[in-house]
Amino acid sequence: MTEAAFPVLGAAFVVLVVLPVSALVAKLGLLLVESVGVRGPLGSLNVRYLLLTSSSFLPLLWFLSAGVHQAETGHSALSCLLKHEQGGLCFEPASFAIVLAAMALLAALRSFSPNGSVPISRSAEAIRLADRVERLIGASSSLGSLRRRIVVTDASGFTLGTRGYFRPQVFVGTSFAATLTDQMLSSALGHEQEHLRSLDPLRYLILQFALGINPCGRFLLAPHVAGWKGAREADCDRAAVIEGASPLPLADAIVRAARPTVREVAALGARNTAILELRIKMLLAFAECAPRRLERDSRSAMPVALVLLFMTVLLPHRVGTGVLDFVHTGAEQVLTYVWR
Amino acid sequence: MNFRLRSGKKGLELRLHELEAAIMNIVWSKRLAEFAVGDVLAVLEKQREIAYTTVMTTVVRLYEKGLLTRVRDGRRYLYSPKLSREEFLESTARSVLDRAVDNQQAMAMLVERVSEASAAELDNLEALIQLRREELEK
Repeated sequence: MTEAAFPVLGAAFVVLVVLPVSALVAKLGLLLVESVGVRGPLGSLNVRYLLLTSSSFLPLLWFLSAGVHQAETGHSALSCLLKHEQGGLCFEPASFAIVLAAMALLAALRSFSPNGSVPISRSAEAIRLADRVERLIGASSSLGSLRRRIVVTDASGFTLGTRGYFRPQVFVGTSFAATLTDQMLSSALGHEQEHLRSLDPLRYLILQFALGINPCGRFLLAPHVAGWKGAREADCDRAAVIEGASPLPLADAIVRAARPTVREVAALGARNTAILELRIKMLLAFAECAPRRLERDSRSAMPVALVLLFMTVLLPHRVGTGVLDFVHTGAEQVLTYVWR
Repeated sequence: MNFRLRSGKKGLELRLHELEAAIMNIVWSKRLAEFAVGDVLAVLEKQREIAYTTVMTTVVRLYEKGLLTRVRDGRRYLYSPKLSREEFLESTARSVLDRAVDNQQAMAMLVERVSEASAAELDNLEALIQLRREELEK
């Protein structure tokens, strides 16, 4: 019975105490960044993304790594992570790591909401649209990264969006594209190109998981995630204009994409149009005065996040696992107290 | 800068009264780097009946709110915008983004569809785009 105390109570402590506290600290950091940043809630997108995701992943990874390290006490990081020494294996920390990983995985899977599939169409209309998009990409010097990354669909009500986590593609709806002029379509593709370059679908998925594995994620961080996504859309508009998209045609395309189809009218709940309006007004301002690129390359967020994750995994092996020892003895003391 | 958010209003009017928003709109769209009250009055008079003193009072209020700076030029003041339209919109973004709701989709759409109830708002936005197009073509 005592052997199970640390794995179960320790993992519960991490999920129910450490992660919520970490989310609270992240929230304070986000409020600070949003209030002191030059562009307020429209700026510092990379820092805010790192705060949102690392508040869940870094503590979790640290405890998992510390559990693995304690399972093979005294061995180097590489030995713990790659070359398992069966003889010296300590099962309690290993079980703790397994229970914690299982809890996190279950929570992440529960939070996952699939996008639903969008069919690739080969109708005559779809082929005409594919040719049109290819012509627009060929004529533009700034849409090069969209070559062979466009998918055309006849799916009812689908407008324009980027899908796919590791090799994203831009999906274009035939009925929506038919309502756009070439300039509008080209500008809208410029917006999606920014999502594609920054692997935004993958980044959104990671955010979804980060919120899902933290019991207080929805409560404390969801409003910041929604704000971040709104600001990210505005940032993609800005980047598209900097890359050569025309602001007014892009604004026109956005408003047309926001209009519900006859079939959607009943299904859509009341949605806040405030972000849409902000984006349109920003684009109107860009038509007056060309924007400057203020946010440094958003693609740098991913490598920085990976370095942070790597360092967190290595930390318990280099510095020690004192916190995990505290959790271990605490769990056993709680059990002793309960059984007494 | 001292602003108070105005509920039920949007865009520029979120933090400015109607006439203040109209004046700032003229300053930004006409790209007036430096102007006197009479310059704004000349444009406003084409749109509505308005007294010089009303415009002057409103311009002074915009100066006090920190949206304009001014220098003395003989017996009058010359005003300049402190922020561009873009910077002003950025500074109002918090109230907008605070009301955002997460759509929970790991997908980036050009924009989310809005309900039919928002059709009038979409019409207004289209009209705004058209207006700006006409202003720029002039």
